[in-house]
Amino acid sequence: MAKMIDFDKIRAEFPILDQQVHGHPLVYLDSAATAQKPQCVIDAEAEFYRTINAGVHRGAHELAARATMAFEDGRAKVARLVGANAAEGEEELVVTAGATAGLNLLATAFGNASLGRGGQAAKRFALQPGDEIVVSRAEHHSVLLPFQELAYRTGATFKWLDLTEDGRVRTDNLDEVITERTKVVAVTHVGNTTGAITDIAPIIARAHAVGALFILDACQSVPHLKVDFHALDVDFAAFSAHKMYGPTGVGFLYGKRELLEALPPANFGGSMVELAYMDQEAQYMAPPARFEAGTQPVAQVVAAGVAAEWMMNIGLDAIEEHERGIAAELLKLGDIDGIRILGPRENVNRIGTVAFDVAGVHPHDVGQYIDAQGIAIRVGHHCAQPIHRHFGLYASNRASSGVYNTVEDAQALVEAAKGIRKFFGA
Amino acid sequence: MSDFGMSSDELEQMYQEVILEASKNPHGKEHFAPDAAVEPTGGVDSAQSVVRASHEYCTPGESHQFNPTCGDEATVHVEISDEEPHIIKRLVWDGHGCSISQASLSVMVDLVNGASVDEAMDLEHIFHQLMQSRGAGLDNEALEDRLGDAVAFQGVSKYPMRIKCALLGWEGLKDSIAKALAAKES
Repeated sequence: MAKMIDFDKIRAEFPILDQQVHGHPLVYLDSAATAQKPQCVIDAEAEFYRTINAGVHRGAHELAARATMAFEDGRAKVARLVGANAAEGEEELVVTAGATAGLNLLATAFGNASLGRGGQAAKRFALQPGDEIVVSRAEHHSVLLPFQELAYRTGATFKWLDLTEDGRVRTDNLDEVITERTKVVAVTHVGNTTGAITDIAPIIARAHAVGALFILDACQSVPHLKVDFHALDVDFAAFSAHKMYGPTGVGFLYGKRELLEALPPANFGGSMVELAYMDQEAQYMAPPARFEAGTQPVAQVVAAGVAAEWMMNIGLDAIEEHERGIAAELLKLGDIDGIRILGPRENVNRIGTVAFDVAGVHPHDVGQYIDAQGIAIRVGHHCAQPIHRHFGLYASNRASSGVYNTVEDAQALVEAAKGIRKFFGA
Repeated sequence: MSDFGMSSDELEQMYQEVILEASKNPHGKEHFAPDAAVEPTGGVDSAQSVVRASHEYCTPGESHQFNPTCGDEATVHVEISDEEPHIIKRLVWDGHGCSISQASLSVMVDLVNGASVDEAMDLEHIFHQLMQSRGAGLDNEALEDRLGDAVAFQGVSKYPMRIKCALLGWEGLKDSIAKALAAKES
């Protein structure tokens, strides 16, 4: 049951939204690219630099101790948001530079395991010719490319789940695509182009039935839906802080604790090694430190924790319900003559990310026209070229909601969109 | 909400009538090149996705230009005379893209088809300068006269994200001429 939340008050917490663009009040509908930040998140980052700043997990002075506590507290808050362990010695979230960095870390670690690194425990991640990696055609390039490259490096076969006409990941032929040879399955939780929520339960079940690891791209779900990695039973998951109202430059890789303990490192350097020698193999630290080489984005992790707590205070159910109302308005784009929604047209099992094509008008021209009215949407292929080819396109226009959007924001876009084809004579 | 649905002055400055017209009926456009938006291989059954090198099909006087952010593509095909001074005997292109890139290719064909290679390279240089003017124009009437309809792109030069759209065809022209000349020398 959702609490009664005053979303006008929530919107007022975002200072950036209070401005004019091209003589119009800013309407920000590009949260799938990056979300805006509430004042508490902006303040948290600044406050950390003003009062605590120091390196973490090194040094013995007071600031270093406080910084370490703040950093681990940030990790714990984010862990609570996504249903991961954060108790000392049981951490399941690795700090990364973003979701892309997390997915690359994982693919690199699997590659290292394939080369025999990590010993017997890491054999479960090793790939060889004959093994299969499965993704979906809806993937963002940050899932597609690291695992496609992993297939090239190891000789594994790269396969994918195809899509329905409206861009959902198909689950009717899982037994054909995910086989006894499949070792890794990586699928998005929510399509970054279509906004479609993937029916992941049967995919995860099938992956586990054949002994494969399941990796979830949670970038577009964590900001909008209640996500619990334990309940979903995913093996690994990646998401970024900047899409969930937190700072840029930081993200998290989730891994089941026993898997993280078996996974060999991918990045090497300071604060990830217990013993280093000139003439012997190093002994690496336990997770998450094993995967966190070098100085960490401490202020950003602290602020990401504040963002996670801020979201939990609103309540994920309330956020989901609010954005469902925005999605309903955005989907009215499809009622305009010559505009086609790319993705589910019904407001069911989808979020407020709505991609569309305007017949006869190139997305760059659409974006320019919409921008002239102070409305920010994304145009291009949204780093997901294969799904655009699925729709017979190279690029599209995408409006995407955040917790701060109003129904009026969506209506402004729909009104503006009515003039596009006339202006360009299409 | 009366403002919505109306185009601002800025928008009309960018999308001059010349540009909108040329983008609808572009000159010199023929179909001879493959299309990046089309799936290169079979569906789910193909074991690996094959990425086609975008320039494989280019002949010596052709240049393929690609803008990865929006997928705009232009393959410019030029034929030049053997004797000096080299004259552009035929200039055609294939591709797809936004109205700015399509209109710019069309206007370019009108300007340089039949011109000498030297004149074409001069015009390319002048157009480049216009696009780097940040909306200010060239402040030189003689140069602007030489650009003809291409001065309509002055408004585009204010938008850093769109300059590449206007230059896509001209980059293709420069490169295809260089390749055609190199092929004659070899």
